[in-house]
Amino acid sequence: MTMHASNLTAPALDIVGLRKSFGKAEIIRGIDLEVYKGERHAIIGPNGAGKSTLFNLITARFAPTTGSISLHGQNLAGMAPYQINRLGLSRSFQITNIFPKMTVFENVRCALLWSKGYKYSFWNIVSRSQDLTEGADAVLEQINLAGRRNLPAGVLSYAEQRALEIGVTIAGGADVIMLDEPTAGMSHSETDYIVDLIRKVTENKTLVMVEHDMGVVFGLADRISVLVYGEIIATGAPEEVRGNPKVQEAYLGAALEADH
Amino acid sequence: MDLILVNIIDGLVTGLLLFMLSAGLTLIFSMMGVLNFAHASFYMLGAYFAYQISMYLGFWMGLLIAPPLVGLIGAAVERYGLRRVHQYGHVPELIFTFGLALLIEEVVQFFWGRDQMPYQIPEALQFVAFSISSYDIPAYKVFMIFLSLIIFGGLLYVLTRTRVGMIIQAALSYPRTVEALGHNVPLVFMGVFGVGTALAGVAGVIAGPVLSTFPGMAIVLGSIVFVTIVIGGLGSLGGALIAALIIGWLTTFAKTYNVRMEDILTTIGFTKPEPIGDSGWQDLWTLTSPQIADILPYLLMVLILVFRPHGLFGKRDA
Amino acid sequence: MTDTTTHSAKGLTMGQLAPWVIATAFLVAMPWIFASNSAITIMNQMAITIIFALSYNMLLGQGGMLSFGHAVYMGAGGFMCMHVMNMVQDQGLPLPLPLLPVFGGLFGLGLATIVGSFSTRNAGTVFAMISLGVGELIAASSVIVVSFFGGEEGISGDRTYGLPVFGVEFLRQIEVYYLIAFWLVLSTLLMFLFSRTPIGRMANAVRDNPERAEFLGYSARWVRFYSFCASGFFAGIAGALFAINYEIVTEENLNLGLSGAILLITFLGGIGVFFGPIIGAIVFTLLQTVLSLQTELWQLYVGALFLATVMFFPSGLAGVLMMHVPAIKMGKWRYLVLPYVKTLIPAIFGILGVSAMVEMMFHARHAPTGDEEMGLFWMTVDSTSPLPWLVAAIISVVCFWVTRRNAPELVAAWHMANTPDGGSA
Repeated sequence: MTMHASNLTAPALDIVGLRKSFGKAEIIRGIDLEVYKGERHAIIGPNGAGKSTLFNLITARFAPTTGSISLHGQNLAGMAPYQINRLGLSRSFQITNIFPKMTVFENVRCALLWSKGYKYSFWNIVSRSQDLTEGADAVLEQINLAGRRNLPAGVLSYAEQRALEIGVTIAGGADVIMLDEPTAGMSHSETDYIVDLIRKVTENKTLVMVEHDMGVVFGLADRISVLVYGEIIATGAPEEVRGNPKVQEAYLGAALEADH
Repeated sequence: MDLILVNIIDGLVTGLLLFMLSAGLTLIFSMMGVLNFAHASFYMLGAYFAYQISMYLGFWMGLLIAPPLVGLIGAAVERYGLRRVHQYGHVPELIFTFGLALLIEEVVQFFWGRDQMPYQIPEALQFVAFSISSYDIPAYKVFMIFLSLIIFGGLLYVLTRTRVGMIIQAALSYPRTVEALGHNVPLVFMGVFGVGTALAGVAGVIAGPVLSTFPGMAIVLGSIVFVTIVIGGLGSLGGALIAALIIGWLTTFAKTYNVRMEDILTTIGFTKPEPIGDSGWQDLWTLTSPQIADILPYLLMVLILVFRPHGLFGKRDA
Repeated sequence: MTDTTTHSAKGLTMGQLAPWVIATAFLVAMPWIFASNSAITIMNQMAITIIFALSYNMLLGQGGMLSFGHAVYMGAGGFMCMHVMNMVQDQGLPLPLPLLPVFGGLFGLGLATIVGSFSTRNAGTVFAMISLGVGELIAASSVIVVSFFGGEEGISGDRTYGLPVFGVEFLRQIEVYYLIAFWLVLSTLLMFLFSRTPIGRMANAVRDNPERAEFLGYSARWVRFYSFCASGFFAGIAGALFAINYEIVTEENLNLGLSGAILLITFLGGIGVFFGPIIGAIVFTLLQTVLSLQTELWQLYVGALFLATVMFFPSGLAGVLMMHVPAIKMGKWRYLVLPYVKTLIPAIFGILGVSAMVEMMFHARHAPTGDEEMGLFWMTVDSTSPLPWLVAAIISVVCFWVTRRNAPELVAAWHMANTPDGGSA
């Protein structure tokens, strides 16, 4: 684990004064956050803290009410998801969001098409493009799904589908990877497996991941931001954050509320 | 001035008739997400049933019996057809109702043949209600207007003042929640489908004698009803009413007032090429508004969908 | 099993080429097997419908776009081809007839580019409604814009006025057949390859999950747009072939009725498999030409068949065929033969019994009084006497009862045939 606090280049992701309201309810209440290049950054928080909203704001599913989000210094305002993706940001979904009728291999190959420069080509035959086949097979090796290569993605087990979701997210070679609760609904052993997988595939990349459970991200993240009621109450190295009294209060408070 | 008034009445009759069809269609769409392509086929069934009944029992019994009969068939279609197709998704549902429209047309031809039926206005209503200068307004038109208004009054009452209406209203916006509250949503669906198709049946009973009862009547009106609810905004009853009236008046006025493209083009400064027969623009110069009256609704729909995909009053995406 | 996929990047395998070679050989041989003029007419119609249905499936099956106005692009191609044909005739241009479909295709492509620029923003209902509206608009303007569409009579031409191509003047049906067959193979191959290109693959991705596709760098709208344009191109080719074959194009070639028919044909054949629309086009054309000679009620039967397909076999005829692939691969299809015979044969007779009653009812209702005799399955029966009714009713009831009784056996056999290594069978 290396710290990047001294990094002088522009942050991979720079969020300034971000707010988002739905009707009268303000869900995101002024967030400033810098994610450094090459770090693994986790955003954690209790239920209802606005994690998913923040995630969807960054990936242009929602438009911010005020504030700005920049990727590598470029403002993302008004961009469509596909434009953001082409700038090098790729996301996964909390609810598994793959192409269930296609084979596992094809899922990954679709994710490779744009970055390999095929764009809207109608003169290349995908199965005859060596680089696509090799690239997709390499990703399948990485996510340990080579044995499932020719099965329809819809028949995979839940954990396998989550792994494929990650594979599809990283396949395009984006340098900023955003994962939305990648271990949601998994058993302990499955969670450990997926965390190891995430560590492996985000080597030398910037990772932003939203997670409910602090324990999951502890061994993985370089830095952690804690989101409570639409505000970030602490950002820092895992040890620092864990010792922070405000964080303990927020988590303990939430735990007490959940008990009653 | 007098002609305008006559046109307003004629347009109103068309508009209300369209609304009677589009009201049921909108209710069905809002609740179940199904655009029922066969909706106008139930309108046709209404006309044919009423004709058949009127041969034995007279027009009024036809008006009384035919709509519930159509509603029963509608409910059966929902229960045994649509509910089954529902699991495959919306596109197969739309295709199913499309196939149903084809089949109903064939079945109607099977029983009644391809010719127009001699379905007549009842004798009790064959008189002139009043005259606007030299234009006679037949009593039957007044009857159509009043009957439509009574039905809408009843519909409004049921939707806003009764418990069933509340459930339907709630199910329009939050179908999942309503189901979670323990209401039998499938039954409500079947009921709404039945009532919606029965309304189409009423429209068929009263429109059959004036717009003629023949196997093509569903196709003639069917896509216009679609256009109406798309323009009004899918799921919006008020929008459907306004769109129905706009279309009613638009087509009526376009047919009565012979606006010629030649006049428009001359006004904005073009000179008519002579002789017109040699010009490639002949078709444009000789265009008149009655010629395009029937396609104006489609033009309006395409324009609205391009600039406002939700329609005039729709909240959800079409 | 993985062999074909891993090595396919290097070269074409026999498995990939074989269907095309066989199909082409088959097309070449057909006129020798069915040499009559009427058979060739049917085959021409079939081939045109196949191209049209495949182009429609580029939208519905591969792109998830339900169109109610696809005939517009076919019609437009047909009209354009006819105009070019007439120009060639008037001005003596050196443009051989076999090349004319290109113009039809390009015109279909151009029209699709215009319409697609605003209609492909959304899939689903908005797309369906715009396609319906545009379809109605263009069909209606065909009566207004007489200079292009020729009004009610349409536009006609003469395909033989062009220069002969290698001595072929296209006077005879058989010559037109080979022209159409050539374009059929070429278009089908191109459409098949299109589905294997990056844009074709992404069309599937956008159909299943537009949001995910956007996060893979693709604009769902542009993917739909390109598929739409390609589909318009091939529909235009089908229209041009229609113009060449029939030498007349009218409003009927672009109206809502034809748009609906192609939806029916494509769905009947199966939208999930590439060759589905081909089966649909063949079956429908046969029904249209052969069944319509047997009974006035053929459209009623086709409508009922279509509805039954939507309700019970939403994957169409091709889907039903594909369901048998696992059993065949495992070599267990033999288990299915006897149960199929035991259920399907009584079912067919049951359906025939019902249709006999339908025919008799139709005859009793519509025949002039005094004309009680009718032809039914090569017999002559009296539609007002109770005996034929009784016979038909008994046949249907008994046959359906047998079908029902044997159905569980088929279900059991189906499970057995589809269970891998299912015990000691």
